[in-house]
Amino acid sequence: MNIVKKLLKARWSSSLIFLVLLFLITGLANASFLSYSNIIACFNTATMYTLLAIGIAFVIMTGEIDVSIGAVLGLSASVTGMIAQEGGSIGKMLICVLLIGAAVGLFNGIGVSFFGVPSLIFTLGTNGVLRGIIYMVTEGRTIENFGGPVAVYGNMSLFAGVSLYYLITLVLVVIAHLVTTRTRRGKYFIAVGDNAGGATLVGISVLRTKIIAYVICGVMAGIAGYVFASKYGQVMNVAGNGYEMTAIAACVLGGISLSGGLGNMVGAAIGAVIMSSISRLLVFIGLPSTYDNTITGVMLIAIVVVDALTQRRAIETARRKRLLNRTESKPEEGGIQA
Amino acid sequence: MANVNADSRAACTLSVSNIRKAFGINEVLKGVSISLRAGEVLALIGGNGAGKSTLMKIIMGIYRADSGTIEVDGCPVNMANPSAALSAGIYMVPQEPMLFPNMTVEENILMGFRDKVPELRKRLATHMKELDFRLNLQRKANTLSIAEQQLVEILRGLLREAKVLILDEPTSALTFGEVQSLFRVIEDLKSKGISMIYITHRLTEVFEVATDVAIMRDGVITLKGPVGEFNKEMLIRGLLPSDVEMCTGGGCTYVPVDYEHLDPVLEVQGLAGYGFKDVSFKLYPGEILGIAGVVGAGRTELISTIFGRDKTLAGKVLLEGKDITGLSTGKLLKAGINFVPEDRHYHGLFKIRSISSNTTSALLNTRAIGRVDINRKKQKQISQKYVDDFRTKIVSLEDLIGSLSGGNQQKVVIARALSTLPKVVILDEPTRGIDAGARGDVYNIIRQLKDAGVAVLMVSSDIEEVVEIADRAITVFQGRINGEFSHDEINQDSLTSASFGIVDGKVVTE
Repeated sequence: MNIVKKLLKARWSSSLIFLVLLFLITGLANASFLSYSNIIACFNTATMYTLLAIGIAFVIMTGEIDVSIGAVLGLSASVTGMIAQEGGSIGKMLICVLLIGAAVGLFNGIGVSFFGVPSLIFTLGTNGVLRGIIYMVTEGRTIENFGGPVAVYGNMSLFAGVSLYYLITLVLVVIAHLVTTRTRRGKYFIAVGDNAGGATLVGISVLRTKIIAYVICGVMAGIAGYVFASKYGQVMNVAGNGYEMTAIAACVLGGISLSGGLGNMVGAAIGAVIMSSISRLLVFIGLPSTYDNTITGVMLIAIVVVDALTQRRAIETARRKRLLNRTESKPEEGGIQA
Repeated sequence: MANVNADSRAACTLSVSNIRKAFGINEVLKGVSISLRAGEVLALIGGNGAGKSTLMKIIMGIYRADSGTIEVDGCPVNMANPSAALSAGIYMVPQEPMLFPNMTVEENILMGFRDKVPELRKRLATHMKELDFRLNLQRKANTLSIAEQQLVEILRGLLREAKVLILDEPTSALTFGEVQSLFRVIEDLKSKGISMIYITHRLTEVFEVATDVAIMRDGVITLKGPVGEFNKEMLIRGLLPSDVEMCTGGGCTYVPVDYEHLDPVLEVQGLAGYGFKDVSFKLYPGEILGIAGVVGAGRTELISTIFGRDKTLAGKVLLEGKDITGLSTGKLLKAGINFVPEDRHYHGLFKIRSISSNTTSALLNTRAIGRVDINRKKQKQISQKYVDDFRTKIVSLEDLIGSLSGGNQQKVVIARALSTLPKVVILDEPTRGIDAGARGDVYNIIRQLKDAGVAVLMVSSDIEEVVEIADRAITVFQGRINGEFSHDEINQDSLTSASFGIVDGKVVTE
């Protein structure tokens, strides 16, 4: 009973309920949506969104944002494809995407926390720079026709249709979740987003924590880029465009507050599945996939508005409750109550 | 000789010597030295801008001193960042506790430690038992009262085995009962040999909890020694610049308000809101009504509710007989009420605009300075009038408001409130954070208002201020009015005791 209660209280439980309802309602409109293969496909296609979402979740938890992850994905995917065209090894690809992600993350982190530039503006700039670099690296070509082991792994499923990459992603989700909830340093991310001044006072370096969050975010986007190239076997220049919005929406859907300090990785992962399911369910209920971006945007705004309102309401309620206590309590009772 | 010196220093838990710090050309600390023995409670008092918080931030490693040394237990410590201060055993409980609102009490306390959690929990339980703290560790921090948040902060400090606790105005947001329990905690800590720097504005507290006292003014320590050697008057003298005159010119001759023949301009009947209840009073034209009480008594909430910034729960507000309860701030301004906020920077000023734009900003939604485009000439005229009237020290009307001193900024904010020609002006802490000279000017301005027939409602935590200029005073205690004083009855004693809930020698408990 206790575990059930605890699960229901968790912030991501409502996201999970939302996901189930989404499936059931779509299932009513078109029963084939509830087929096993389709449900598994929803999860498999969530691989990249999940990687991006848990990466950016670190940044959002600290109270910042990163809109350059779509471009990091694009650049990493292009580089992966180019290495594959030359017949390079998967190890080489992975090292390259990790380096790209870490370098961009470091750049963003320093810009945001050391120079104090608003994160939206700074990472928007990074986004522009990276898109330019993609054109320079690829000379405007679409990277395609690459085969070899990358392309094989891309669509390999291990058991019951679950793809290899999704399984690895799930392992990463679990690791990220444990790091942020169980380890001492992992809790710093949430602490910094919750109250940066308070974090400083207990000896947590806000600057370093934010830089690390950006590096993790960049690295995850780099890995997502590798997955992109491996899955699709071709990389256009615009690869990853708009993915940042989906990843942010996934986080917020999963209960991570954009003002920082609230939420967890499980939520982000569930949010990513919701986002990938929405693009699929459009097809099943007969809407063109051109609606995809609009719906993502509308959902993002709707959730953020609700989040902001509940947040403000909670603060206001707490304040009013405190003030009312003051007029209700008699002097003798002013002490500490358990 | 050198040996003796070293010994006396080693006996000090914390010794700060000759600290200097300047921000740009503005020298905030001009060679400050303080030292603390084990178990010493040093009360540090001083006005705003005296440099107390800068000094504390340097001790905590948040700022770096330009010169000077900090020693803990006789060893010099390089306070490069807060971690250095924490590991040296110094912990600051900030004025507004800095907890993580979305975390539990336990997570809050254990955050930032390197030790194993089970062992920390055990130590935490011991500390809580020793101090008899009863606090549910699984509660979210955002459900705690300020007093409880302070306890959490103190526990954080104790768990770090802090030898020195810095308490920054810990009682400013506490109720009377909470203050008493905090004092018991301080006594306990003192007996355990923990040293404390106790920053406060309340002189009575100095004699209640401190063993030593130091007064800071303009970046230097002007007075220090064991509490026993001082009394209140000596402390007040230490706080004031040597050339201060409490009363200036003809302003002190008291013109009584003609209560018999005047109708109240503002009447509050049984008003209740968040933070106050059953508040009734009348305000007459040409009257200065002081509202005294400790911080957190509900005064600020009362006036912001009257000014339409929070919800009224019950009762009525009448302006010249018309019901204005619950009107929006914009409508209240038009009806003839204006408000000078407590916090100039947060609610008062448009910092990067000129003095004249600031003075006339309340007129933007009227037609006084033009219909569509702003009539610069009129704007200048109005601003110049107030600058002259108030003796505001400026170079040019087009200078940024931020370039003025606190006192002159406050004059501009008051001028702005007056530019709408209100019938009622509400002043919230009109002289907070401004120097003694400008304070006299502000008092003169308030008296001019009175002479012009404007009704002034003045909230002030500075009881001397109420004594000096109010025609009548009411005191607020725990959200209710617990005393009303006519001009003859107003004095330091009566207001102070009423502010702390004692009326006619009795503790009032509803």
